[in-house]
Amino acid sequence: MISIEKTIDADVSINIFLKTEKNHVNLLNYIIRRLLLMILVLFGVSLIVFSIMMIIPPGQRVAIYVKSEKVTPAQMEALIEKYGMNDPAPIQYARWIGNIFQGDFGYSETAKGPVIEGFKQYFPITLELVLLSTPLIILVGVWLGTLGAVHKDKPVDHFTRVFAVIGYSLPTFWLGLMLLMLFYGLLGIFPPGQISNVGKDVISSPEWNRVTGLICLDGIINGRWDIVWDGFYHLILPAFNLVILSCALILRLMRSSMLESLGQDYIRTALAKGADRGTINRIHARRNALIPVITISGLMFAGLMAGMVITETIFNRKGIGLWMARAALQLDVPAIMFNVLFLGTIFAVVNLIVDILYAYVDPRIRLT
Amino acid sequence: MEQLVKTEKVVTNFYTYEGVVKALNGVSVEVRKGETYGLVGESGCGKSVTVRSIMRIVQSPGRIEDGKILLFFSDTDRNQAVDILKRSEAFMQTIRGNEISMIFQEASTSLNPVLSIEYQIGESFRLHRMPEILRETIDELQANLDKKKIPFVSGWKKFQISLFNRQKETLENYERLIDSIEFQLAELEDDGTSKNRRLKDELNRKRDMLRKDDRLVMFFRRFPFLRRYYRRINPVIHRKVVNLLKELGVPNPENIARSYPHELSGGMQQRIVIAIALACHPRILIADEPTSNLDVTIQAQILDMIRVLKETTISSVLFITHDLGVVAEICDRVTVMYAGDTCETAEVKELFQKPLHPYTKALLRSVPKVRQEEALATIPGVVPNLVNPPTGCRFHPRCESAMDICKREKPPLFTYAPGHTVSCHLYTSKEAKS
Repeated sequence: MISIEKTIDADVSINIFLKTEKNHVNLLNYIIRRLLLMILVLFGVSLIVFSIMMIIPPGQRVAIYVKSEKVTPAQMEALIEKYGMNDPAPIQYARWIGNIFQGDFGYSETAKGPVIEGFKQYFPITLELVLLSTPLIILVGVWLGTLGAVHKDKPVDHFTRVFAVIGYSLPTFWLGLMLLMLFYGLLGIFPPGQISNVGKDVISSPEWNRVTGLICLDGIINGRWDIVWDGFYHLILPAFNLVILSCALILRLMRSSMLESLGQDYIRTALAKGADRGTINRIHARRNALIPVITISGLMFAGLMAGMVITETIFNRKGIGLWMARAALQLDVPAIMFNVLFLGTIFAVVNLIVDILYAYVDPRIRLT
Repeated sequence: MEQLVKTEKVVTNFYTYEGVVKALNGVSVEVRKGETYGLVGESGCGKSVTVRSIMRIVQSPGRIEDGKILLFFSDTDRNQAVDILKRSEAFMQTIRGNEISMIFQEASTSLNPVLSIEYQIGESFRLHRMPEILRETIDELQANLDKKKIPFVSGWKKFQISLFNRQKETLENYERLIDSIEFQLAELEDDGTSKNRRLKDELNRKRDMLRKDDRLVMFFRRFPFLRRYYRRINPVIHRKVVNLLKELGVPNPENIARSYPHELSGGMQQRIVIAIALACHPRILIADEPTSNLDVTIQAQILDMIRVLKETTISSVLFITHDLGVVAEICDRVTVMYAGDTCETAEVKELFQKPLHPYTKALLRSVPKVRQEEALATIPGVVPNLVNPPTGCRFHPRCESAMDICKREKPPLFTYAPGHTVSCHLYTSKEAKS
């Protein structure tokens, strides 16, 4: 009898062992599956983008490339015919996709060069700001939200709530302009732009080794700490602007979900165990409260990549938002199409990362 | 029998937007050493609030307003009591989970879904048995060190041992000092002169300044990578958790310890909750309806488990339930509660054979019996809203033998026989006797 029990026990333990082994395989499987699915999603995105482009009549699409005003309608017809703009949509789509697979995204009028070159030029500027401000936004939001929930209805809580309402309702352009006026106009610090004129000469000189395009990171790679500081100095004000405007959402979310998890039964269990307030807040409540915050943070990260038009305009940073705004105004179709595809990819990847983080934070969620 | 926990006229109110909910209206219960004490009543009668007041974990907006909660935990002097309502939160944290533990109804929500079972049980050890854990870790490290000597690794290990030693010493120091300060504070309690108040403030400040952790240890534990050394205590805790689960008769303790609450069945979750409560061998276990929401076979198992544990590890159990069958099965003495009042206290047999309070009688009549022919009796009416409780005896609107005096005065406690008390005007007022 005893021996049978023992074998059963051994069986169970082996099973569980296999299960944990499987989990690692599962994660890899899951990621591969999601990446394959992403191709489908991107195909859908490309179809939508393409159909938006096809709404514009062929004449207009050609017109942006025509500089001279003396082109006759007959010549225009010839151009349209030459570039196959009157072909059936599937053929045009196939041609476009075929070019993409060869790395040719077309010529962007607004970037004055191939789209991919424009992307290389504009994207790092945006990325640098996003990489600096997103962690700050999340940290400040989570911190203040936790503080507000822990000291509910105390002065700290009121302060964070007022801060959130102000941050949430201030228009970006107003706050950006005010910050510029105060710091640059009045105090003469934190200038707009991405780098000073001296720094610009350095980074455009032939000795400059441009690896990532991120000014600070390239500065470190090149060992030029003055350039690192220069780039960072220009990042401070726009990052501050973004933190004030965007962390309100995370703050509110964190506060409410923290309050919810502080009211749960397991907090009572922890109290009865003899845990102090700090342990309860940090370990028992916060981890549960972070779950909804992760979703919003992911979406916010992706959103910031796309939609910093106003911030970039005000602080005169030649980033992707600025480029897209200009491309949209001037009907720079290849640039728009590329950027929409790119943002689709970003959103899909961020969603994947968010899902994996979910499973990491909450053991109830299984990746299948 | 010696008393262990005693409450005297505890008043707990909840300050809600609708008004003040007078949840406890002077509750006095007494748990003795070695007994299982039952607290019975309908939902919302204040059973849970009573035990939460004893633990001092009444959650906001509730406050304990008045009364005394006395603990007789001194091993040398049986009559030396500690009034926990006058003690600090830091003192309570050393009591909770260590001397008094609690298990809850709804085990599934009482366990934190994102933490592993091992962590949740191990936390009890971390909170109350840290010096012991550190000592074992140091021993283990030392044994490791003696076995093999590698030039640089040995140095690093020696440093780890010194870190653990520092932590242990600070912690032991902290516990000793906090004990002495608490003792001095309790001595000062009695007279209210200004000199005393000054002394008290000073002691309080001193207590708040005490550090549980050494600065160097804190520094090492704050930073990633540096704090990896701290993982050395995990195997020790794991061993303790597995041993505890084995003691409680949980099958496959290694795997259970590694799993998360949602992977376990309801009965197993309840066992884990019990394991958390019993980790530090408390003197008294408070069980707040531990068997509701479990099916009958599991209920029986859990009750058996508590009964066995009472005989082996814990001396007393305070058992809350609304199920009179469970009371008859497990309890030695019972108090019947109604709307924040204690109605009647007696030995179980006595209570079932000779109920005195009209509410107790009505309760017993509403229990279905084997071979019952007639319709089951009920108690008319509902539990009153405790924002505006009935005047006098709170049961009088539903009482079949209510008198005029019941509306006016709260009935005093009357000792009907040794060990059998009742608070009802039927046994004390002249009106009833005439």
